[in-house]
Amino acid sequence: MHIPDGFIPISQCLIYYVILIVALYFSVKWARSNLDEKRIPLLAVLAAGIFAIMSMNMPIPFGTSGHMVGGALVAIVFLAPEAAVLVFTVVLLIQALIFGDGGITALGANVLNMAIIGGFVGLYTFKALKNMIGKYAAAGIGAWLATVLAALACAIEMAIAGTFPVSVGIPSMVLYHFFIGIIEAVLTVIVLVALDKFRPDLLAWNKSEGDA
Amino acid sequence: MDKKDTYLIVVAVVICIVICCLSPYIASGDPDGLEKSAEDSGLAEDFAVEEISGIPEAIFPDYAFANDPDNQALQIVALVLGAIITLLLGYGVAAIVRRRN
Repeated sequence: MHIPDGFIPISQCLIYYVILIVALYFSVKWARSNLDEKRIPLLAVLAAGIFAIMSMNMPIPFGTSGHMVGGALVAIVFLAPEAAVLVFTVVLLIQALIFGDGGITALGANVLNMAIIGGFVGLYTFKALKNMIGKYAAAGIGAWLATVLAALACAIEMAIAGTFPVSVGIPSMVLYHFFIGIIEAVLTVIVLVALDKFRPDLLAWNKSEGDA
Repeated sequence: MDKKDTYLIVVAVVICIVICCLSPYIASGDPDGLEKSAEDSGLAEDFAVEEISGIPEAIFPDYAFANDPDNQALQIVALVLGAIITLLLGYGVAAIVRRRN
């Protein structure tokens, strides 16, 4: 769901950039009191892994494709959506500047959808459900919902921008991302299971159950 | 950095390289959810709601070399370079903003 240059008028892009700057302020503040030295490599490898997996578009019905995004994953690993903002600002900046994937002018909107909305929805769905259905099922549902709601937000942004109307955008975006969200859920759970097995010390849920 | 973290980075880099080597061959070329939604509403492929000038050309447009966009080996090179640059920038940013005691 990388929004390219040209889909949002510059005046609206600026608003999304303001949101990005505010999000980065809170994220740096979070990192200064929570990101210990031990988790620097973790944040770096999540960024690299997300960059790589985004190149792997998988087919879904309707002649469409989608790839994992990872906003929910990062937020759940660190129990902080702020971590997703840091990771996605790095990944989306490199994708936009070097690879022409996602607009430079749309960077703020793309971070909003994939990291802020994706991260918050993923993390808080996970937190709400984990004691009822277990942490992996909760993470999977959180990742799926993060994808669908980020797509819904994107459809609304496109309507505000005048790119395509909600009457087409919402049904289309939600329908396709209903399926793309399944890819997101499966891969999010696989990464969490692998981290819990091999490096449980890196998962914030093993450290501070409940807080953060 | 202790041994466990070196191991984490090595394993992650190997996984990234495997994904980057497979993507040019097996990734679906179908439009993604947003592109398809734009098609559904009848937008042209080069649609722009507002002409934006001054955007610098991407060095590797669509994760390929501009002068040989269909060369899959070069696509792998572009992707691996991208993953390494992302790893280094991610590490740098995290190191700068990390907790101080």
